[in-house]
Amino acid sequence: MKRRSLFVGIPLWLSVGAFAAEPVQFGRDVLPLLSENCLNCHGADESNRKGGLRLDVREGALASKDGVAAVVPNQPDASELLRRITSRDPEEVMPTPKSHKAPLKPAQVEVLRRWIAEGAPWGRHWAFELPRRMDPSGGSAAGVHPVDRWVRAAWERAGVQGAVRADAATLLRRVSFDLTGLPPSSAELEAYLSDRAPGAWERAVARLLDSPHFGERMAMWWLDVARYADTDGFQSDATRTNWPWRDWVVDAFNRNQGFNAFTVEQFAGDLLPEASAEQRMATCFHRNHMANGEGGRDPEESRVDYVIDRVNTMGTAWLGLTLGCTQCHTHKFDPISHSEYYSLNAFFNSIDETGAAGSGAKPVLEYKSAHAPAALEEAEQLVADAKAAEGAARLGARGAFGEALPGWVERSRRDFREWTPLVAAGLESTEGTVLLQEADASVRATGPHPLQDEYRVAARVGLSRVTGLMLEVLPDAAHTGGGLSRGKSGEFILTDIKLQVRQRGRAEVRDLKVVGAVGDYSADKKANGGYGDVKDTLDDDPRNGWSTKGAPQAEQHVAVFRLEEALVLEPDEELLVELRQRSTLGDANIGRFRLSVSDQLGETVSKLGPGPLASLAGSGVSSAEAVPEDLKKRLFEQFLEEYPPYLAARQRLAVANAQLAEAKSAAGKLKVLVLEERKEPRETFVLLRGIWDKHGEQVGPGVPAAIAPWPAGEPQNRLGLARWLVSRENPLTARVVVNQLWQLLFGEGLVRTPEDFGLQGERPTHPELLDWLAVEFVESGWDVKKLLALLASSATYQQSSKVGAEELARDPQNRLLARGTRYRLPSWMLRDAALRSAGLLETRLGGPPVRPYQPPGVWEELFMGRFKYEPSLGPAQYRRTLYAFWRRAIAPTFLFDNAQRRVCEVRSLRTNTPLQALTLLNDETFREASRVLGARALEQGGAGSRGRLEWLSLAVLSRVPRAAEWPVLERALQQALDHYTRTPADAKAFLRSGQAPLPAAALHVDAASYAVVASLLLNLDETLSHE
Amino acid sequence: MKPFLMNDPVSISRRYFVERCSGLSLGAMALGALGREVGGAAAAPGGEAPLQLGLAELPHFQPKAKSVIFLTQSGGPSQIELFDQKPDLHKWAGTELPESVRKGQRLTTMTANQKQLVKPAATRFYRSKGGATVGEWLPHTAGVADELCFIKSMCTEEINHAPAMTKLLTGNQIAGRPSVGAWVSYGLGSTNRNLPEYLVLISKMQRPSDQPLYDHYWGSGFLPSRYQGVKLRNAKEPVLYLRDPEGMPRALRRDLLDGLGELNAQHLQEKGDPEIATRIRQYEMAFRMQSSVPELTDLSGEPEEVFELYGPDSRRPGSYAANCILARRLVERGVRFVQLVHPDWDHHSRLTSWCTARCRDTDQASAALVLDLKRRGLLEDTLVVWGGEFGRGVAGQGKWDSPEAGRDHHPRCFTMWLAGGGTKSGFTYGATDDFSYNVAENPVQVRDLHATILHQLGVEHERFGYRFQGLDFRLTGVEPARVVKEVLA
Repeated sequence: MKRRSLFVGIPLWLSVGAFAAEPVQFGRDVLPLLSENCLNCHGADESNRKGGLRLDVREGALASKDGVAAVVPNQPDASELLRRITSRDPEEVMPTPKSHKAPLKPAQVEVLRRWIAEGAPWGRHWAFELPRRMDPSGGSAAGVHPVDRWVRAAWERAGVQGAVRADAATLLRRVSFDLTGLPPSSAELEAYLSDRAPGAWERAVARLLDSPHFGERMAMWWLDVARYADTDGFQSDATRTNWPWRDWVVDAFNRNQGFNAFTVEQFAGDLLPEASAEQRMATCFHRNHMANGEGGRDPEESRVDYVIDRVNTMGTAWLGLTLGCTQCHTHKFDPISHSEYYSLNAFFNSIDETGAAGSGAKPVLEYKSAHAPAALEEAEQLVADAKAAEGAARLGARGAFGEALPGWVERSRRDFREWTPLVAAGLESTEGTVLLQEADASVRATGPHPLQDEYRVAARVGLSRVTGLMLEVLPDAAHTGGGLSRGKSGEFILTDIKLQVRQRGRAEVRDLKVVGAVGDYSADKKANGGYGDVKDTLDDDPRNGWSTKGAPQAEQHVAVFRLEEALVLEPDEELLVELRQRSTLGDANIGRFRLSVSDQLGETVSKLGPGPLASLAGSGVSSAEAVPEDLKKRLFEQFLEEYPPYLAARQRLAVANAQLAEAKSAAGKLKVLVLEERKEPRETFVLLRGIWDKHGEQVGPGVPAAIAPWPAGEPQNRLGLARWLVSRENPLTARVVVNQLWQLLFGEGLVRTPEDFGLQGERPTHPELLDWLAVEFVESGWDVKKLLALLASSATYQQSSKVGAEELARDPQNRLLARGTRYRLPSWMLRDAALRSAGLLETRLGGPPVRPYQPPGVWEELFMGRFKYEPSLGPAQYRRTLYAFWRRAIAPTFLFDNAQRRVCEVRSLRTNTPLQALTLLNDETFREASRVLGARALEQGGAGSRGRLEWLSLAVLSRVPRAAEWPVLERALQQALDHYTRTPADAKAFLRSGQAPLPAAALHVDAASYAVVASLLLNLDETLSHE
Repeated sequence: MKPFLMNDPVSISRRYFVERCSGLSLGAMALGALGREVGGAAAAPGGEAPLQLGLAELPHFQPKAKSVIFLTQSGGPSQIELFDQKPDLHKWAGTELPESVRKGQRLTTMTANQKQLVKPAATRFYRSKGGATVGEWLPHTAGVADELCFIKSMCTEEINHAPAMTKLLTGNQIAGRPSVGAWVSYGLGSTNRNLPEYLVLISKMQRPSDQPLYDHYWGSGFLPSRYQGVKLRNAKEPVLYLRDPEGMPRALRRDLLDGLGELNAQHLQEKGDPEIATRIRQYEMAFRMQSSVPELTDLSGEPEEVFELYGPDSRRPGSYAANCILARRLVERGVRFVQLVHPDWDHHSRLTSWCTARCRDTDQASAALVLDLKRRGLLEDTLVVWGGEFGRGVAGQGKWDSPEAGRDHHPRCFTMWLAGGGTKSGFTYGATDDFSYNVAENPVQVRDLHATILHQLGVEHERFGYRFQGLDFRLTGVEPARVVKEVLA
């Protein structure tokens, strides 16, 4: 995303004009011009070719038609190409104005003129030539780091100088983020700063590469490449259990598996002789694509999509080619034909799969994860603790219950009413029914009887609160057959019920959530057009609802509805009840009904029949002692329903139990999606225009001829394909991978379009360096750690990121690498860093996914309640972001700018938005980290504010405050102290985040104030940046 | 190379910063700018802020519309019941759809194995003065039909929801392209200082919908993510993380941001990276959004007659009707692109209860929005678009003459309407055959609709693109698209 167009992107001092003295190079100077301006219509794609002219091959350019040739070597003036690009005639000039391309600039025309004058030599695009290890021409001293030699050569050409070395603390922080995704701990920082012996830097780098967190950091890169997620995506978005593969990736990086073997196992682990379970599991890489289980979709169409996704992923991640372009037609710019694309498809077209999604997907490997038992143990402990707490809370409620009981007995003897009929303040209908309330509070439908209608009842409520609603449907002589409705059948249907509150003088109403409904009778749904169950009145779906058809018609029926939360009405608020009858056939409006409300929780609103207090009233007992034991039990349960300490414990136990159930299933045999060939290979066809069922010619497996030859003796299957990718003849893979590894340390690749090394991609900023590193990488046995250590040991890497206005104006994108690149860290690193700074990070490796805090209702909203997000309890909450459950349809909300994991992505996106500011200020993880930091500053920072602020700064920034920063920090602290001293309730409220225990009440003001400063520090641009 | 391709390499504010100011000493200039902004904001929170700039070369010509409200009806409303009257269809009732009409149209696996028996419309129709026909389930829409411009000849290729909706909103059936709103906000920037330029409002439903609404429907695709639609949620927090936690009063937040801004300004002076200046601005914008968004969503200042106009459901926050009022408020505040989404139009069965339910949710408020914009003088430069991702087939799904019957998806023709923004009023464009199955005249592809929307905003679709992965992308894609000039006033 970081470029305007090919040429604007190339720094001025490298632009064509700079080479006036030396001969034109076809690959560097000419091909980009042809590609940009001509090949769209005069390229390899026959279907789009204009005027029969092709300029992507020399024969085409030189071909003569009616005595005219586009290019006549050595004769610029006889070359039609030159005449056309310089023509003033809009009918003649190229590129044609219809293409909306601007005419070529004089300097560009000059390049083409000189190239023709020099004989129009042809060549290949740089990326298709094998990388060669060359020595720098302009460079000087031997013994200079190979990276620095090439970088300095470019500086010399451009006449610039590099930046000084960054200070030690900044450097350690930089390399710790780059290699482990975490900031250094204070101990690590101290150890490094005090290591004065030679080789201190190399030792620090080696320590980080040996850390188990190295594999986690690298896996985060690779999971974006692999479009890894814990669900299928699309409509059903079913959960899958591929996470053991994620742990395999972490392990592969930690044991420093060669990237070649890493490649082979992920493409074809199952085809290796005596493949281990892990090698077969490695192929899950190619099963991490989305899977579409949308109803009405042809599974074969989905299967074809998956095959295409695999090929495109290989193109992006290994070859740096936009193979996706060739799904529909021959590539307009790169030498890949439409049919070669489908030859690549053929390698993946005979997987033993059906296109099904969810639990129907196959083939799978049954696998037990070695990381699961630890998660299980943790969950068991969590439940044990939560159970004990629930038991204690239940026991603790006994006393309070004993105190409350006499009052209850007293009340039951006065005028206890379980249900209070609603007296309507307003009665209306939508379609014309006239509603009248009678003395017994029943409401009668009179006047017109439309096929469908809604009744709306507005009523003041005298109760201190409302917990539920009772609806009695009453028979009447005026109804058909003395039944329940004036409709032909005498039967009623209630499709939906709605409860709302309206305040006098306010236009807006608020919805009340009804969570339970029980009725005394349900019609047989199947026999009654879907109408029967009273629960169906809660879903706002008129195609189902409550009916009592089948019960004797002249009897009354009753249903009870439970509110999610007890409702406390203000004096000027009224309750609105809406009864809807919008059934398909209609003619079933209720004829007479009565509505009542209750203030009782528990049984009263969840069962029919008298609740515990009503039973107590009915029992006639006169003292608490006389209450029979079984009734006492019911009363105690009723009491617990309203006892907040118990409710909190019960809720926590429920979540812990759910977590345990998940951990148990994670510890069993898991199905990991893998590759496996079917017995009968499928035939593969070119798909015309890329449409899944439009077959063209049949093709067999094969690779694009222009890239590299097939390695001799390799089988024509995925195994051979993988070996072709990592063969020495392949000019792309090593460059593409090295470029991505470079990007991990420098923020941007040497090729700034890491996904596109083709003609339309950018050229490397340092071509010789890229080649040198690619060759080095291959010769080292594709040793990832060694390459990263090499990069980190360069002076280029260790430069300060400070920049002056002049340097910035000259090289805003740091293409010369004359300073350290500064950029915002990925959002996942920000979360991990906050947890680590606060000492909250749980460093265990591997295991089933966890759920970090996320605002409530996000999944529920997207899936209209089908999926619910419950943040993990216990240590699972503080695991690294790598382990966060990834729902493909909606990625974790706290991760901004991350790859979406829908398709392979290798480029990092970095935006700067207000929404990010809000996330970092208000997300629960960052809030909890702030307050834990605040509390720890109090404990560990000594007695004075100076020491505490210093402690905070060290923990968050890995450095102490500078002189100019002190007054700002002290003022921020004082402002917070002032506020919280005045309003201690705010201090307590601010500290209430996450699950870490609250400090003692006496410390609230201080703890909250330091938490505010911690939040400020966590939001500093410096904290967020790769400095 | 290409004048119309202006991929910005860094954030626009940064680009602006570097390009406009590169002659100055950066530190001095940055601090000067910051002094004004941070200090100003501290003195008067919610004060002036820089506008988000669009591309310098846009608009290409004088626009007719400043804003767009896209009333997305997700699931595929039936054009047969709602707009496309075929009085003679009853003659064919219950007979098999002739192959000469069907012409091999692909069906979903839901009806591929049943006979395609014609089911006439379940509705009677209103006819407006201008000759538009609107089904009886949309009485309010019928009442404003002479303000609307109906396109009866919309067509698409996709037959399932996700690809068809992806295409309607991004121009391509495969996820990953920028949505219309993202293109518009990228190209034209914002005309308000305190709100994002592209907002999405989804109706709050009680019933779980079978079609999830993917974030990519309003995503930014390969455009920088700040152009993606910001979803206003139907929750206490209309924007995620908007509310400060309890115990963090506004004044203390202001203090914290002042301290943060000061330290960041020091850091800017030390490091010289203009991205730090952008960061400071974005924290200030976040602070302003914390008041501008709640102010926006608080309808208590709206007079009673507004709720009467938009209908009883408008009193329920989060409803489609309430969102229509919000849409008008957003346009009043200069927001460029507002997208409403109402789910669950997928009536495969029981038209009289299912389809009518969605009509009741949306009819009055959609019509009210048009009237309300008009009486406030906003309709002239606001383009309202109403429609779904495809239509419904003429054959009944299930037993054709049973009340249980519904209709399956149908991509070959469907109806959308436009209002305001320089389109004709009381006009109907395009026609279908006797079965409302194929377009008979003047087909309008989704890309044509997009070209027309851009055109009304002053953007020539062929000259508005973005280069990504070596290719030039346009909202309207590679196949020829045309501005439907016939519907323009």
